[in-house]
Amino acid sequence: MARNMTLLWGSGSPPCWRVMIALEEKKLQGYNSRLLSFDKEEHKSTEVFNINPRGQVPSFKHGDIIVNESYAACFYLESQFKSQGTKLIPDSKEEQALMYQRMFEGLAFYDKLTAVIFYEYFVPEGERLDSALKRHKDALTMELKLWEGYLFNMGSGSNLAGKSFTLADVVVFPTIGTLFRFGLSEKRYPKLGEYYALLRERPSIKASWPPHWLENTKGLDTLKDV
Amino acid sequence: MAKDMTLLWGSGSPPCWRVIIVLEEKNLQGYNSKLLSFEKMEHKSQQVLDINPRGQLPSFKDGDKIINESIGACLYLENQYKSQGTKLIPDSPAEQALMYQRMMEGNTLMQKIATVLYYHMLVPEGERHDSAVKRNRENLTTELQLWEKYLENVAAGSYLAGAFSLADVVVYPNFAYAFQYGLSAERYPKIAKYLNLLKDRPSIKTTWPQKWFQHEQRAEMLKGI
Repeated sequence: MARNMTLLWGSGSPPCWRVMIALEEKKLQGYNSRLLSFDKEEHKSTEVFNINPRGQVPSFKHGDIIVNESYAACFYLESQFKSQGTKLIPDSKEEQALMYQRMFEGLAFYDKLTAVIFYEYFVPEGERLDSALKRHKDALTMELKLWEGYLFNMGSGSNLAGKSFTLADVVVFPTIGTLFRFGLSEKRYPKLGEYYALLRERPSIKASWPPHWLENTKGLDTLKDV
Repeated sequence: MAKDMTLLWGSGSPPCWRVIIVLEEKNLQGYNSKLLSFEKMEHKSQQVLDINPRGQLPSFKDGDKIINESIGACLYLENQYKSQGTKLIPDSPAEQALMYQRMMEGNTLMQKIATVLYYHMLVPEGERHDSAVKRNRENLTTELQLWEKYLENVAAGSYLAGAFSLADVVVYPNFAYAFQYGLSAERYPKIAKYLNLLKDRPSIKTTWPQKWFQHEQRAEMLKGI
């Protein structure tokens, strides 16, 4: 049950957010929620390393069972709690196939986002180049056009894999939420904007919205020209 | 049915190999198999782009359903064909959790291998740094040491998450690939043992890549890792 679960997480981390959305959707509120500070490097603390040899968040335990990779935790939770909360893997073959496809494209999507917004975190000062950052921004633009196209083809009001809210939305919405937090233009990406506006009202997403985004609603403008 | 399935793939590509292994394990031989050449840039050809706007392999269709991402295709096939062939997702919560965990870590492993092996392809000449190459190699070493620990007790029937599972389907090709590029069995004896234990498994043996790489100068790139 939820009280045997512990999630170590950081505010604004999309992988952490994925697991939190899944826990909400499966009605597993009541888990031990440990918010750690990235600024204070708490994600590299003993508490994390005791669960996760990679020293990363999310780190997730259910009793003695440890599942740290965010997608893995989402699959595990859906599988173990299939009969409660939202059905996150659709039965329809078509929706299921599309769900898996979009979920795993979501990994590339997230990588292209972080290559831009966390450029200075990943790349030591002596190696940073304007040309590299530009290249990453161009790659992100191409990726965004793909997703804008996907949403356009799905039609207004649709989730990523069809009518139902699925694991594809669980794992990809945090990336999209982060894009807009960092200044992505809704004018340039109207379909992504529509999807974002629709899903940000979903209870599981509202309940797990990054706390520091609530404290400071302004956000950044890193991606305004992407 | 298998005859409604089409796989476009390239030889020696771990993501392609994963899907091929699952198709074998689920007794779905008989799918339309199209071997394409990376060398001839066939992964960017129209027939691929028609299925996969990313111009990447594998590209996979089951009827009109498209799943190009290899782990996605593996999960789809296991879920759609649960009752035939090998059971690839364990039932027990603990094994299942471990399977999903290792499966997704397999994605991280492949990325770190790719960051080292494909550095010159991914990074334009004017942006390359020796310090980056060194760091990428160190990251891969740390990663491999982690897997060496995960495989501490590897034995016949006791693989990444117990019995052979999707974790092995996803990860085995990564290791086989790394050894083709000179990874040292002395430095990574457990990984070498794991490879050896599974190399005769029918789904792996019959689909072993005929050809691994084209660039001879990269042949020993992982020797010192």
